Amino acid sequence: MQLDNRESNIDVVFRNGLKDFEVNPPPDVWDNIHLVIKTKQKPVLFISAAASVVILLGITFFTYQMGRQISSAPDNTVIAINNESVSSETSPSIAGPPIASKESKQVSSNAAITLKVKRDNKIEEKNLLISSPEVIVFPEANSLALNFTERRNSPVLAIFNKSQKNAFRMNNTDLQYTLVNNPKKVAERWSVAAMASPTYYSHFNSGGNEITKQLMSTEQPVISYSGGVAFSYKISKRVSVQSGLYYASLGQVVDGINSYTGFQKYGYSKGDHNFEVLTSNGTVYTRNADVFLSATGSTGRINTNYTSDVFDPNKANLQYINSTIRQNFSYVELPVLVRYKIIDKAIDFNLIGGISYNLLVNNSVYTMVNGSKYTIGETEKLNPLSVSSTLGMGMEYNFSEKLSLNIEPTLRYYLNPISGSTGTNVHPYSFGIFSGFSYKF
Amino acid sequence: MSEIKKIINGCLAGNRRDQELLYRRHAAKLYAVCLQYSGNDEEARDILQEGFIKIFENLDRYKHEGSFEGWMRRITVNTALEKFRSRHNLYRVDDIDQIQELDAEPDNTDYAGLEANDLLNIIRELPPKYRMVFNLYAIEGYSHKEISHMVNISEGTSKSNLSRARVILQRRVCSYTGIKKKFAIG
Repeated sequence: MQLDNRESNIDVVFRNGLKDFEVNPPPDVWDNIHLVIKTKQKPVLFISAAASVVILLGITFFTYQMGRQISSAPDNTVIAINNESVSSETSPSIAGPPIASKESKQVSSNAAITLKVKRDNKIEEKNLLISSPEVIVFPEANSLALNFTERRNSPVLAIFNKSQKNAFRMNNTDLQYTLVNNPKKVAERWSVAAMASPTYYSHFNSGGNEITKQLMSTEQPVISYSGGVAFSYKISKRVSVQSGLYYASLGQVVDGINSYTGFQKYGYSKGDHNFEVLTSNGTVYTRNADVFLSATGSTGRINTNYTSDVFDPNKANLQYINSTIRQNFSYVELPVLVRYKIIDKAIDFNLIGGISYNLLVNNSVYTMVNGSKYTIGETEKLNPLSVSSTLGMGMEYNFSEKLSLNIEPTLRYYLNPISGSTGTNVHPYSFGIFSGFSYKF
Repeated sequence: MSEIKKIINGCLAGNRRDQELLYRRHAAKLYAVCLQYSGNDEEARDILQEGFIKIFENLDRYKHEGSFEGWMRRITVNTALEKFRSRHNLYRVDDIDQIQELDAEPDNTDYAGLEANDLLNIIRELPPKYRMVFNLYAIEGYSHKEISHMVNISEGTSKSNLSRARVILQRRVCSYTGIKKKFAIG
């Protein structure tokens, strides 16, 4: 009997007859397929494509200017995501005047939706191809609904209401889920900012050295400026890394050092400098042969051959300039920072932390005469490279998606002493409020 | 690299041209398969669509072992099967008891002159359950045991569905060829 054979004659006839048979599919099938795989691959670019049923629903909805909100279906689990459903050929026109109770319209096109479905606490991604969804508008209830048949043939009702913004709430017999159309584009990852700040500079004496303490008692911090350009790259929604190039100057005023000019004619200069001034940041050597220095009070602060018992500036008729000298150090900074966004609102708050590599580019000691600088010399044995740690709080006010105003109170602490001389252990710190604009791209 | 491998890699990289090329090359053959598994065109079209979406989504799993066409065909058949499973409760199989008597008839049917299109139409006219079992057994080469798992029926049902499908097919073929002959003579 043929039934018991593996193969019946008719099996072979059909198998061979249909083996290489081809039938051209309807032309729009490819468009639908492409739509779905494109949605999956490049969700961001999808917004601009053809006409998006979901977006249109959104627009339609918001043009209705509905004030009331309806309560959403109970026990719906909320899931995020994706764009976008698009009709393949014809843009479904679903806009129309709101009618008293409800308005229903059949959209004669297909739409693809990617959504995440939460089922049994697992999130699954689903691609849905909706054919001819029925759009129901409930103006009084502030909602729109999409009625369509899903793959498995169970009717699905997607409700759209104002309280959920671009969300769809969907009900199904065995699962309940929400589709949130995510209209927010992935933010630009790069940003560039120009920032500047007045900087208050001071230092800690971590060594507890008595002499240094004494020296520091006559030293005053000065306000200086720093600024530069910063680049940052966004790694995730909240975290970005930042670098850039800054120029910063630190400085201090040393009291009790009288300076005179006109010393050169008496200068029986031996060696390369006539005076040495001790400061907490290191020893200052005079480079200007015309300058004469004397200390008020403690005489031990200045090392020189021209002590008061040897040379009297008044008798020599030197011209008195000032009783203070200023030390200045300028650095080019290369920061490596991490920003963490704590609050992401109209005004964003960021925590900023990291380290900076500081390259010493200028080192000068001067005093002021009639508002202009009178050079005295420079501080010896400074570390050419120092490392500082940075801690800041960034406030970012977004004017637009691209442009924002940044204000960043920043505290930095120098991890190694500014001076390379042994014995000094003074760590400067500075506080500045950086402000500037940043541009994202 | 073979051409198909190039196209597959292009698809994986998201290249639209390669995706379309892959579709254009294989759609007609796979659509014929979809039609074979479905009684109505709308459903066949859905199977093709969903099947291809799965093909693209799972392309990275194709290991370039065995025929690519066979791999795509399997996905398409599975899609048809899923669709069938999700709605098989909706179908009612015709009462076929009388036909059973014809089982034992020797197969002396004249198959000559039947074109692929005729065969396709005949197969599509089968009740869905018979069509599914016949397709899986006779065309795809699955055993009754495998089919019983795939379609969620017993092996016995699979066997009886197959034999009933064969009987119906034979009868339809007879009437087809009869008509064709008439026309040829007339």
